[in-house]
Amino acid sequence: MKTITILSGKGGVGKSSFAASLSIVLAEKYKIVAADCDVDAPNLGLLLGIKKFKNLKRISTNYKAFINEKIVKCKNKNKLSDICAFHAITIEEGIPAINKFLCEGCGACKLLCPEGIELRKVKNAKILETSTKYGFYLVSGQLEIGESGSGKIVEVIKEKAKRIGEKIKADFIVIDSSAGIGCQVIASVRESDFVVGITEPTPSGLNDLRRALSVVEHFKIPSGLVINKFDMNKTFTKKIERFAKEKNISILGKIPYDIRFVEALVNLTPLILYAKEYQNLFNKIKDNILSIL
Amino acid sequence: MVEERNKMKIAITGGKGGTGKSTIATALSYKLAKTKKVLLLDLDVDCPNDDLILGIKTEKVKDVESMIPKFDYKKCVKCGLCSKVCREHAIVFVKGNFPFVIPEQCIGCKACKIACPRNAIGERKQKIGEIFTSSEGKFTLISGKMRPGIEESSLVVNAVKKFSEQYEKNYDYVIIDTAAGTHCPVISALLGCDIAIGITEPTPLGEHDLGLILKLTKNLKIQTYVIINKSNMGNKKLIENLIRKCRTEIIAEIPYSKEIEKNYSAGKPVEHESINQIARKIEQLNLSVFRNKNFKV
Repeated sequence: MKTITILSGKGGVGKSSFAASLSIVLAEKYKIVAADCDVDAPNLGLLLGIKKFKNLKRISTNYKAFINEKIVKCKNKNKLSDICAFHAITIEEGIPAINKFLCEGCGACKLLCPEGIELRKVKNAKILETSTKYGFYLVSGQLEIGESGSGKIVEVIKEKAKRIGEKIKADFIVIDSSAGIGCQVIASVRESDFVVGITEPTPSGLNDLRRALSVVEHFKIPSGLVINKFDMNKTFTKKIERFAKEKNISILGKIPYDIRFVEALVNLTPLILYAKEYQNLFNKIKDNILSIL
Repeated sequence: MVEERNKMKIAITGGKGGTGKSTIATALSYKLAKTKKVLLLDLDVDCPNDDLILGIKTEKVKDVESMIPKFDYKKCVKCGLCSKVCREHAIVFVKGNFPFVIPEQCIGCKACKIACPRNAIGERKQKIGEIFTSSEGKFTLISGKMRPGIEESSLVVNAVKKFSEQYEKNYDYVIIDTAAGTHCPVISALLGCDIAIGITEPTPLGEHDLGLILKLTKNLKIQTYVIINKSNMGNKKLIENLIRKCRTEIIAEIPYSKEIEKNYSAGKPVEHESINQIARKIEQLNLSVFRNKNFKV
């Protein structure tokens, strides 16, 4: 079982749309599990036609600190505000208060005031395992509003996808990661076998791709590029191709700009089913990935 | 002494990536700076692009550092408590051996240092990011950039916010460009803002993610307005229905245009009637209304 992770750095360049179509072409020949690891703003389920998210399982990967009445006796209470690396503790009239939106649950404050502070597990996400109408499973997650710990939620989703994959003897796990290069992306990339970097020919697209690929390099994982909307700015597409050559990364495919991408999104239909002439292109991208893997 | 201005802090956010947050944040700042003093904070520290979009050169002014443990192996008795209290699993401890830290995973919380019974843990600094600035006329940009490989983006966001605090009093508007999503770095960027503007696109994905950000800003008690970008591409009704449910208001619609796309690709701030409209709307807002309602941090 091999894991293919899709990332981009920049948001909105087409990660989820690409992941949906790639999963469908892969599933024609192989057993796959798709995993939506963008837990802040999960969209892969929507694109795979899952309208109602049923049988959600609430999970907890995080703690938060709570202050109780014994805090008045803690001799260290005035140090709490300085110790908190996340600026979550303020002291008002000698009594500490915790801003729950900033607390990361590291527990440093509890070590200073073991009696006056409790660390409680918080249910910070919902996890969904479901079959899709395209014949493969999807594992998806949703961070609860205002909660933290997205990297650890990604790890839970990956673990679940792996378990399903082992059970059904899957050939591939396809991971749709989040925008950015932070904890979610790092958790997505870790232990992947191949990374598809998707980008668009704009200054931000290339800049963010560069940053995202430096994370991939850190883990020494092979990667390939897909240039989306490549015909919107051909000069910049050339720049991306030069960058790929310098880095010795192969271009897996180039997707033209097409208004039907937006129409497919609005209709919540994966692109290759909405505009069937793209099936060849996606098959080619798939073959290119498999030839490197 | 400079008189403290009654600055207004406006966050540009939206949940979904690529809806035009940075394009609108830069265009709006550029427009407002024609008459007022504007400070733009690029708090998308994973992928900061405001300088690229504006086509300006920035200068590095500061490293962002975070604490990581420094073990004094002469004092260490290999008890393993430091590893046990570390919730990020950043300290590796194998029985009989000295503990060591995986720097990228450390969030600098100091729990290990507090827990160590032998006082064997000191502090050293690791660089987790950089702060850049650029200034011209009435406009200043401060951007945070996280070092790739670091996981905790919100540490860099908080450091940039702290750095910019000293300058904010000199400005009429502080515009904050947030990252995509709804997690810690976005929450850190939103806290302390007077209002937020959610940028979305008329697709089910745009609607879904805008719904999440509206829930988040409701929890944070930050009044949030909405801008529909690429308003002529997709199905606007999706957003309009959501807006009605969430009792907010669409303050502008920006149609997709080749002209905007071209400026964007070329690294020039976008000038468009819809941006002027947003600027007018902001100039009309009465700050005191929000200040009284907002969450105190």
